[in-house]
Amino acid sequence: RRESEIHRRRKAERMVGPQYDLVGNPLGAVRATFERAAAAESGGRDPVAAFRSKDWGASEVFRSFLFEQGGLDKVPLLDASNLGLIKPNTLVRFRGMVQDMLGNEFYAGAFKDGSTWRTNKFTDFSPFAMPHPCDSHLWERHLFHCVPVPGQNSWTLESSPGPDLRQMANCLTPEQREKRKRDGDDDAMDVSENGNGGSSSCSKKPKEDDVQIPSSSAEMPASENVPQMNGNDHHIPGSSFSCLVKIYDMPESQVKLNDVAEFIGVYTFDPELAAPNDNSDDIMFDLIEDVTAQLPPSKVPRLHCLVWRKLSSVDFLAKHPAVEPLPSLLKGIRQSLLSHLTLVLGKDDLAANCLLLHLLSRLRTRVDVVTVGRLSLNFTGFNRESVSIFGKQLNTLIQGLMPYSQAIPLSIEYLNTATLQPRKDNKSGRLVTGVLQLPQGAHLTFDETLLQSGSLASKGVENTVLLKNLMESQMVEYDFEYYKLEMATDVQLLTLSEGKSNILPSDLVVPFRASTVSAVNATSEELESWRWYLATVRSLPQSSEPEIYQTIQDEMVSAMRNDRSLGCTELSRWLTMAQITASSFGEKSLSLEHWQMAKELERLRKERMQ
Amino acid sequence: ASNGGGNSNSPYSASSPDVRPSSPLPATNSSPPQSARRASGRLRRGPTSSPSLGGFETPPPPGRRTPSGAGAARQRQNWTGRFPPTPSTPMSTDDVPLSSEAGEEDTPETDGGGVGADATPVFVWGTNISVQDVNAAILRFLRHFRDPRDAGRVDPVMDEGKYMRAIHRILELEGGESLDVDAHDVFDHDPDLYGKMVRYPLEVLAIFDIVLMDLVARMEPLFEKHIQTRIYNLKSSICLRNLNPSDIEKMVSIKGMIIRCSSVIPELKEAVFRCLVCGFYSEPVMVDRGRVTEPHICQKEQCKASNSMTLVHNRCRFADKQIIKLQETPDEIPEGGTPHTVSVLMHDKLVDAGKPGDRVEITGIYRAMSIRIGPSQRTVKSIFKTYIDCLHIKKTDKSRLHIEDSMDTDNTNASKSSEDGHVTDKIDKLKELSKLPDIYDRLTRSLAPNIWELDDVKRGLLCQLFGGNALRLPSGANFRGDINILLVGDPGTSKSQLLQYMHKLSPRGIYTSGRGSSAVGLTAYVAKDPETGETVLESGALVLSDKGVCCIDEFDKMSDNARSMLHEVMEQQTVSIAKAGIIASLNARTSVLACANPSESRYNPRLSVIDNIHLPPTLLSRFDLIYLILDKADEQTDRRLAKHIVSLHFENPEVVEHQVLDLSTLVAYISYSRKYIHPKLSDEAAEELTRGYVAMRQRGNNPGSRKKVITATARQIESLIRLSEALARMRFSEVVGVRDVTEAFRLLEVAMQQSATDHATGTIDMDLIMTGVSSSERQRRDNLVAAIRDLVMEKMQLAGPSMRMAELLEEVRKQSSMEVHQHDLRVALGTLQNEGSVFVHGDSFKRT
Repeated sequence: RRESEIHRRRKAERMVGPQYDLVGNPLGAVRATFERAAAAESGGRDPVAAFRSKDWGASEVFRSFLFEQGGLDKVPLLDASNLGLIKPNTLVRFRGMVQDMLGNEFYAGAFKDGSTWRTNKFTDFSPFAMPHPCDSHLWERHLFHCVPVPGQNSWTLESSPGPDLRQMANCLTPEQREKRKRDGDDDAMDVSENGNGGSSSCSKKPKEDDVQIPSSSAEMPASENVPQMNGNDHHIPGSSFSCLVKIYDMPESQVKLNDVAEFIGVYTFDPELAAPNDNSDDIMFDLIEDVTAQLPPSKVPRLHCLVWRKLSSVDFLAKHPAVEPLPSLLKGIRQSLLSHLTLVLGKDDLAANCLLLHLLSRLRTRVDVVTVGRLSLNFTGFNRESVSIFGKQLNTLIQGLMPYSQAIPLSIEYLNTATLQPRKDNKSGRLVTGVLQLPQGAHLTFDETLLQSGSLASKGVENTVLLKNLMESQMVEYDFEYYKLEMATDVQLLTLSEGKSNILPSDLVVPFRASTVSAVNATSEELESWRWYLATVRSLPQSSEPEIYQTIQDEMVSAMRNDRSLGCTELSRWLTMAQITASSFGEKSLSLEHWQMAKELERLRKERMQ
Repeated sequence: ASNGGGNSNSPYSASSPDVRPSSPLPATNSSPPQSARRASGRLRRGPTSSPSLGGFETPPPPGRRTPSGAGAARQRQNWTGRFPPTPSTPMSTDDVPLSSEAGEEDTPETDGGGVGADATPVFVWGTNISVQDVNAAILRFLRHFRDPRDAGRVDPVMDEGKYMRAIHRILELEGGESLDVDAHDVFDHDPDLYGKMVRYPLEVLAIFDIVLMDLVARMEPLFEKHIQTRIYNLKSSICLRNLNPSDIEKMVSIKGMIIRCSSVIPELKEAVFRCLVCGFYSEPVMVDRGRVTEPHICQKEQCKASNSMTLVHNRCRFADKQIIKLQETPDEIPEGGTPHTVSVLMHDKLVDAGKPGDRVEITGIYRAMSIRIGPSQRTVKSIFKTYIDCLHIKKTDKSRLHIEDSMDTDNTNASKSSEDGHVTDKIDKLKELSKLPDIYDRLTRSLAPNIWELDDVKRGLLCQLFGGNALRLPSGANFRGDINILLVGDPGTSKSQLLQYMHKLSPRGIYTSGRGSSAVGLTAYVAKDPETGETVLESGALVLSDKGVCCIDEFDKMSDNARSMLHEVMEQQTVSIAKAGIIASLNARTSVLACANPSESRYNPRLSVIDNIHLPPTLLSRFDLIYLILDKADEQTDRRLAKHIVSLHFENPEVVEHQVLDLSTLVAYISYSRKYIHPKLSDEAAEELTRGYVAMRQRGNNPGSRKKVITATARQIESLIRLSEALARMRFSEVVGVRDVTEAFRLLEVAMQQSATDHATGTIDMDLIMTGVSSSERQRRDNLVAAIRDLVMEKMQLAGPSMRMAELLEEVRKQSSMEVHQHDLRVALGTLQNEGSVFVHGDSFKRT
C-alpha cells in the first residue's frame, strides 16, 4: 500500500512537468492533453461535450512519439510470458488477430470533479474518485477479443522484440505478485513464480529465455508435435493467452474479424476488478452479464488502445531493408530460394517450381463466385514414409518462410472430431474459434496420406464441406446457431496425398517425384532474404499492358483448338501461374516470356500426369 | 443515499440546452424529502386531479415504471450518467406511492431557479416538457384520434376514437392490462407529442399512464387494474449496431433475432413479514430499488419483539421478469463483422413473448446502468451496462418454414407485416422485375453469365430452379413438381460450371460427384482407390438435398447400386433405407441435375444417346429434359472465353452485361416465386397442351414409315405441365398461359431433338429413351435375327457340330447387304438362344 502511495505521489510529481514518460505513464500524458484541450474549449458551457468520439490530441502525441521519435522500440510487447511482469498503466504493444468482436461498451468518459473535468478515457477505472452524483458524459469504445495469430511462426516474434523485460520484473511489487496468486490463476502464477525466482537471477539469464517462453506457452504449432494441432483446447478461446483490446474513436467497421494488427495502448490491471465476482445476490448482474465477465482481467489483460495499425507479412520481417524491389535483386533471391526448394523436394525441379508459385499466390479479386489469384497445390505420390521425410522438411521450411502456417493431419478421426468451423456460443456470447478461423495470408498444409477409408459422422461431413468450400471459393461459413455467415478468407492450401485428392480439390495437381533425399539447412540470412522476397513479391502491384491481352487470348484460343478438354478453370489457372511467374521475377506486368514459362511448366506437369 | 437530483447527462443537455441551468446545481442534490411531499401535492393539484389517486393507490404495476410520472422522472435521474447510490436494478421504480411521487419535487424547484419565477407550468426536470401540455396532448390524442381508415364508416357506435374504443374494450373484457398505441397514429395526430415521447419516453409514458388511469377512473371508478401503455411501430427503427450513447433514455425500435431467453424470474414486489414471536403479519412492504427493509421490531403493540420478523414467501407479491438477448439479423452485419447483441428486459405479459430463433421488432427504452465493483462497495466502475427496457415486442415472422434460408424468412416477414419497409421494398422490386416483358430472357442471361451460348440449356435449368407444382391427389397419387435434367456432353463444355452455378443458386443445393454418391444415409464415407490412392467422398447427397437441387457430376460413373436408388427418388421422391431390420422412407423431394460424359471420351454422333452414355433407359426416361452439349469447335466461343478469362485476371471485368440480375437478386427472385406463386393451368393452356401432345404423337406416324414411332409418352405430358408451370412462375403469374405451354413444347423439343433423335432416320423417337433402342434399329435387329435363323436352319444340322462365330459373321456378310458387327451378331444369337433354336457356347454355337 505504501508503495502505491509513493507511486501515486511520483505520478503526481510527474504530472507537473511538461514532458511525460509516455511509456511509463501514458495516462499522465493523456490527462495532460485532456486538460489542455478542455482549457482551450472552456469558452463553452460544456467544454468536454465536444470530445465525444473524438481525439483531443492524445493519440497525436503518442503517434509522433512512437513513429517519429522511434519510441516504438521502447514499448514492451505483451505476451503470455510477460503478462505478470508488465506494470499496469504502462504503455504496451500487442500483436494479434481479432478473434471476436464484443460490441461496444459505454463508459463515463468525462466527469466533473469539483470544478475540473476529468477523463476516464483509456482506463477502466477512474484514477480519481468519482463523486457519485456528478456531471458526466457517456462515451463509447469498441471491444475486440484478440489472440496470438493462430499458427504464428516463431520467427515473427523476433522481428520486433520489446525492450528487455528485466527492469519490468524488478518493478513488480511483491504485493502484486501476491494478488495474482490469490486469483488462483495458474498461468499467471507460473509466470510470477518465474519472475519471483528470477528477480535476482533473471538479470543473468540469457535473453533467449524471453523468446522461448512464448514459443511454448502460446502453443506454436510445430510439425513435431502435430497431434497437438487437433488438440482439444488449442483453439478454444480462453485457454490460451488473449487480450481484450478497447479501441476508441473509430467506426467499428474499420476493424474486421481475423485482422492481424498491432495495438499500442495502456495496459490496465485492477486487482479490485480481478477479484472473483460472487455477488450473486444481485440477479440483474448475472443476467445482463457481460461477455467480458468471462475474460477475467487476471488472465485476459486489458489494453486501451491509443494507436493501432494493421499488420501485413512485411511488418513481421526482422528489419525493413529499405531496398527497392528491383527485378535484378529479386531474380537472384528467387534463384536461391528455388534451388533450396528443389533440394528440399528431393531434386524435383517441377515440384519446386510449382511450390514457389503456390507460395507466392494470393487471392487477388473475387468476381461473383469466381476467385482470381489463388493457387492451391496438391502434391500426389506421397506415402507415409515419404511424408515423414519430405513432408517434414517441407513443413519446417514453410514455417520458416510464412508468418503463419499450420500443418493438419487429415485423418478420418480428425475430420470427425476436429472443430474446424468457428461457432458462436450464444450462451456465453462469444465466438468459439475453429481451426479455419484464420488470418488473411495464412498457410495450411494438409497431410492426406493418413486418410484411410472409413465412415464420416455428421461432423465429419460438415468439416469436409467446409474444407471444400475453402478450397473452391475461399469462404468459411461461421455458425451463428440461427443462421450462418460466410466470411471471406485468403488462405494458401497445400495438400500432400497419395493420389489426387477429391476431398480437397486443388487448383494444381503435381505428381511428386523425388530422386534423392538430402538434408538441407538454410542459414538464417538466407531465410531472412527469402521471407523478404516472399512478402515483397506478394505485395507487388500487378498491372499489365493491354497489348499482351490479345496475344494471350490468341494463345488460349489456339490451345483450346488443340486440346478440347481445356476449360475455363485450366486457362484461368494458366494465367494465374503466368502472372505469379512474372511477379516472381519482380516484374510488375506480365510479358509473353512468362506466359510461355507458365505454359512450359504446365506442359511438363501434364506429361508427368500421364 | 439521497434521491439524487442534479444535472443531466450529455444527451439531455444536448437536447435541451435552454432549460439547463448554466451552472451545475448542487442544490438539487439536497432536495429534502419534505419538499418532495410538498411538490407531489402540487402535482396533484394539476390536471390529473383526485381521481388519479385511485391509480396511485393501486398496487404499483410490476414493471418498468410506476404509474406516476413522478416516479419515472426520479428514476430517470437515477440512471442518467450519474451514479446512483445503489446501482441495483432498474426495477427500482416500485416504491411506496409517496416516495415515488417524491421525484417530481425537482420540477418546480429547479425550474424555479433555472427558468424563472413562473411556477405554474410544471416541467419535467431538465427538459422543456410541460407536464400540463403533454397531459393535455395525450388526452386529446386518446379522445380524438380517429383512424383514417375508419373515416368512411358511418356508425354511431364507431364514432368514438380508435383508442377510446380500445379502452372500452379493455374495460369490458377486464382482461387486457395494456393499451397498444401505434406510434404512427401519435405522429399523425400530434408530431410534437411524438417527438417528446421518443426523446423523453420515461416522462411522457408516465404521464400517458396517468392520463389513461384518469380516463379509466372516470369511466369506471371501480376499475382497479393498472393499464400500461405499449407503444409500437415507431417511425424509424435503428440498427442494433448503431445504438450509441446518445440513444440512452430514448425510445428506440430495433429489429433482431432472439438468441437466448433467461428463465422467468419472479421478482419481489411487496414483501410480507411475520413475527416469529406473536405471529403478527406486517403490512406489505414495498421493494424500494431492489431492496426491502425488514422491520426491526414487531409492529404489534403488545409484542414489540425485536429482530423477530421473517419473510413469508407465499404472502409476498411477485412479478415476472425475463431477460432476453437480441442479436442482429444477418442482413445487418457488415462484411467482416460479427453480429452485435443487446439485452432486453421483459416484464409481465411480455415474458415468454418470444422464443430463441424468433425474429422480432422491439420497441423500448435504451438504458444504461453503472456497475458496482463489489457487493459492499460504494464505488462504481466507469463502465456502464446497457439494455433495453421493452415496451412492445412484435414478431416479424410467425411461420418460418426454412430457417436456413434467410431470404425465405425475409419474404415471410413481408407477407405478415406490410409495414416492414425494407423487405417490402425488396419484394416490390422483385415484382417490378417480374412485370418486365423480357424477364424470361433476362433470367436466362443472368444464369451463369460466364457461360455463353447454351441458352436453351439455361432455360431448362431455370425451369428446374423454379419448378412445377407438386400435386398430391386425395386418392394418394403423387405428382412430383421437380424437374430433372440430364446434361450429356463432351468434356470441357462447362457442364461442371453450370452444375456449380446451379448449386450456388438453389436453396439447399448439394453438389456431388457420381463417383462417390451413395444416395442414402446422412453420413458419408471416405473411399480410397486402392490403385491410385485417390480419395473420394461418398455422401448421402439425396437426402441432404430434400427440397433442393441435387447436382450430380459424373453421373455415368455412379455405381449401379446408387443409381437404382435414384429411380425411387426421381419418381416417388423418397429414399428407402433398410437398417437394423427397419425400413425407413425418407423424403427426398429433390430435383436431380446430372451431367454425364460419353463413355468414350468424346460423344460419337453416329451412336444413340444410350450407346454414348451407358445409362439404363429406365433411369433416362425419368429425366424431363436431356440436353446434349456437344463441343463444336467454335472459334467465336473460344475467343470469348479467352477474353473473359483475361479480363477477369486483369481486374477490368468487361463491361458488365446489361440487364443481368445479380446473384442475390436471382436467388431472391427464385425463392420468392417458389414460395408464393402456385400457378394453375388455364383452360386455353390445357387445350393447347392436349393439342400439342396429340400433334407430337402423330408426328410419329409418318406416312412413309411402316412402323409407328412413338414421339411422346404420358411421361412427357407430365413434364410439359411441370415446365409450363415453371415458366409461369418466372413471370410471377398465377395462371399458366398458352405461351407457357408453347414454350414448354419448344424446350422439350429442343432437348429431344438433341437426345432422342434417331440418327438413322433423323426423327424424334421416344423409344430411344424409353427402351434404349430406336425403332429403326429394332427393325434392323429383327432383320438380322431372321437372317441368322434362316442361315442356321439351312446350314446346320440339329445337334450337329458347332460353328464359330467368325464363320457366321462372314456368312451373314456375304448374304445380306447390311453392315454387321460382331456385337450385333452376339445380340442376335442371344435372341435365338432365348428362342431355343441355338446354344451359344463361348465363341461358338450349335443348333439345338
